[in-house]
Amino acid sequence: MSPDTKVRNEVSQTNANSLRQFNHQLGSWTRQFVRRPGANRGAGRMVVALLLAVTLFAILNPRVFLSPINLQNIAVAAPEIGIIAIAMMVVMLTGGIDLSLVAIANFSAITISTLHTAIATTDPDLANNLGVVIVLAGIAVGMLGGAFNGFLVSVVGITPILATLATMQIYNGIAIVWTGGSTLYGAPAMLGAIGQAAVANVPLLFIIFLVVAVLVAILVNRTALGRMIQLEGANPVAAQYSAIPRRAVLLKTYTVGGLLAGLAGVLFLARNPTASADYGSSYVLLVIVIAVLGGTNPTGGFASVFGVVLATLTLQVVSSGFTAIRLSSYEYAIAQGVILITVMIFDSVSSSRTKRPKKLDPQLPSEASPTEAALLRP
Amino acid sequence: MTSMTTSQPPTPFVSARGISKSFGGVPALVNVSIDLIPGEVHCLAGENGCGKSTLIKIISGAERPDSGEIVIDGVSHAQINAHAAIQGGIQVIYQDFSLFPNLTVAENIVLTAEVASGRRLYSPGSVLPKAKAILQELELDLDLDREVGDLSVADKQLTAICRALVNDARAIIMDEPTTALTHTEVSRLFALVERLRARGVALLFVSHKLEEVLAVSQRLTIMRSGRQVVSGPTSEFDQRSISRHMTGREVDESRVVSDLDLTAPLALEVSKLSLAGAYRDVSFGLHRGEILGVTGLLGSGRTEIAESLFGVTPADEGEIRVGGKLVPIRTIQDAVTARIGYVPEDRLSQGLFLEKSIADNIVAASLESHRTRWGTLSRAGIATTIKQYFVGLKINAPNAQAPVRTLSGGNAQRVVLAKWLATAPTVLMLNGPTVGVDIGSKEEILELLRVEAAKGMSVIVISDDAPELVAACHRVLVIKQGRLTHTLEGDQITVDTIQERMSA
Repeated sequence: MSPDTKVRNEVSQTNANSLRQFNHQLGSWTRQFVRRPGANRGAGRMVVALLLAVTLFAILNPRVFLSPINLQNIAVAAPEIGIIAIAMMVVMLTGGIDLSLVAIANFSAITISTLHTAIATTDPDLANNLGVVIVLAGIAVGMLGGAFNGFLVSVVGITPILATLATMQIYNGIAIVWTGGSTLYGAPAMLGAIGQAAVANVPLLFIIFLVVAVLVAILVNRTALGRMIQLEGANPVAAQYSAIPRRAVLLKTYTVGGLLAGLAGVLFLARNPTASADYGSSYVLLVIVIAVLGGTNPTGGFASVFGVVLATLTLQVVSSGFTAIRLSSYEYAIAQGVILITVMIFDSVSSSRTKRPKKLDPQLPSEASPTEAALLRP
Repeated sequence: MTSMTTSQPPTPFVSARGISKSFGGVPALVNVSIDLIPGEVHCLAGENGCGKSTLIKIISGAERPDSGEIVIDGVSHAQINAHAAIQGGIQVIYQDFSLFPNLTVAENIVLTAEVASGRRLYSPGSVLPKAKAILQELELDLDLDREVGDLSVADKQLTAICRALVNDARAIIMDEPTTALTHTEVSRLFALVERLRARGVALLFVSHKLEEVLAVSQRLTIMRSGRQVVSGPTSEFDQRSISRHMTGREVDESRVVSDLDLTAPLALEVSKLSLAGAYRDVSFGLHRGEILGVTGLLGSGRTEIAESLFGVTPADEGEIRVGGKLVPIRTIQDAVTARIGYVPEDRLSQGLFLEKSIADNIVAASLESHRTRWGTLSRAGIATTIKQYFVGLKINAPNAQAPVRTLSGGNAQRVVLAKWLATAPTVLMLNGPTVGVDIGSKEEILELLRVEAAKGMSVIVISDDAPELVAACHRVLVIKQGRLTHTLEGDQITVDTIQERMSA
């Protein structure tokens, strides 16, 4: 053994030690997350996934991946997808799904752009002064789109996936007919300013994303409506028997979904002052992947906003990381699928581990009182 | 040698020997052995949760035992799967019969045998003769062309029995076969059982109704808390000894009923309530602080009346007054606004959010009353409510964050009860409040109702468990075929009278 390798070994030894400590710390954090019941499991595993993804790409191509521009890009691109994913999460909490969210977002963006351009052709200053009103109009259009989904699902009683498949086609179709399929240019100046602004190097768009996430988390966990949304998803029959007004809850849920999608449309324009009917068509399924990765139970009842935020960042990191190591968007698509399956396998393994011993026949041994059970034990 | 075999009891067709099984470390069955002898009815008796169902599942291959063996026709198996059990001639008739409601009687009878024989094509023509043959053999009168979904419970049961025989059943296991039957239907079933015995079929009859056990069986096994308490010829038992073996103590279900202030205003008045196809012209009043029993056979309309009062299936005609005021109850929200609560029959699917925590379940029906002026939920208020009921109802769990799924029947029922008590109802209806609940919890739940009633809540207990009605109710209404036929009061409320009026 040469002295050289010995030194190297020592170095790697100390590295290994600190790594072990780090690993230990990480382990205890994840345990804390995992121990919390239900919803936070998504957050726990996504912390791990995000750290893994960042570490991987930081090692593979640190020069490009860790460059400030790249990090900025991640922070600017994530919000629009993230907000739609949060909207998807809210709808999935009731056990439903909303395929029309991206179409609604585009509709909102097109509305804003069209209104702006229409006013700006006669009076550019007025158009910019009315920026807030125009933006609110766009969000209102999103809410309306969501409310219509809610009407179809709750009052008419159409299965969510079919109802929103239909409205996705309708909103998308109207948008194409309206714009003639072309890309619209023009948006209120304030949106461009928001898209460029940053607070302490953190893009304003990203801050908006976090604020929206916090507000939705409050809605879901700290309001009667949010709890009802969760209960409706956890067991619709028991929800009905608990006097939870199903129609009103579903109507409000899809309206909130539409509102968030409308807001995402605003962010589209803030990033890039163009609007078109086919923008972000790859988002439709991506946001479902993100919502589920973030711990949303596809059958409803459980979700974590924090988990969805982390899942958004993870996929965005993987996306830009792939660009940094020169892989194509097709390879990114493969990665999305692989990540989803991996997480699902991890999930079913860990949940079967925790659940199996508790698998009790409801009529059976559970009836024995603890003392009785102790007596029976051979 | 030959002399020995003649003196021995007949060879059993199926024997379960030394069966043990535990779930998550909690033993459900401990060293249980049972023999099914051709031409004999073996009764398996025991309370809810004693391990009867687990034993059936093991014999029919739906669960595997941890230890022990199952001997079919002299061949020992450490475990069998469902397919092998059916091939071996063991058929189980569950309480829901597992029939296809959208197929005809004939198809239901023959189809599983056709599938089992590995035939890939199905010809409607071949179905009828086979089904007819079996009906003739059993001297039954069933319309083979009717859809099973339209049949009465008793006829569905007969269909299921015929299906079992077409599948060459040599042992038939019936899980609580008489629960939903009227007196006449029960006698018809017992007559059929005799014919099956004559055919040499071995029968295992699961029941907790003592008179039936004595009437129909030749051999009896009683189980309690997963153990086989006693086995022997039925002739060696009487009702009293069976009951003592089943519960492990002299059952004290004595009547504890407070004096009722009959001058107190009526909390609920129901007049001429009708719902097509379910019940007709039902009228009664409910005093403040009264515990009123509503009984009747399964399908008599007792559940439907409660569900109408709760707005699940609103009545077609009639009036409902709560606290003297006429309230139209068209939806569940209407009922809850009128301060009516309902602990439903099917606790697991209608009453509970199984994956959610105890805490979430307790506040599920009273979220609106926990609002702050900001529109958010008052965390302190919710915590107080949860603590009040988690502790007050003695829910046995490590903490209120545990998912309800992990609770026993008795504790799960307390959670449903807590959910409604948190809404401070003036009228609380409970449908089968102690079904699947162990005896200790049962007594405590009844006591809880007595306490709440004493504080002024009016309670309606819908139940076919006569001892429970006797133990807690001021009055008992008997519903038969959708009509209120008897109102029992005071000394009239005895187990015998209730059972007699219910099924007469």
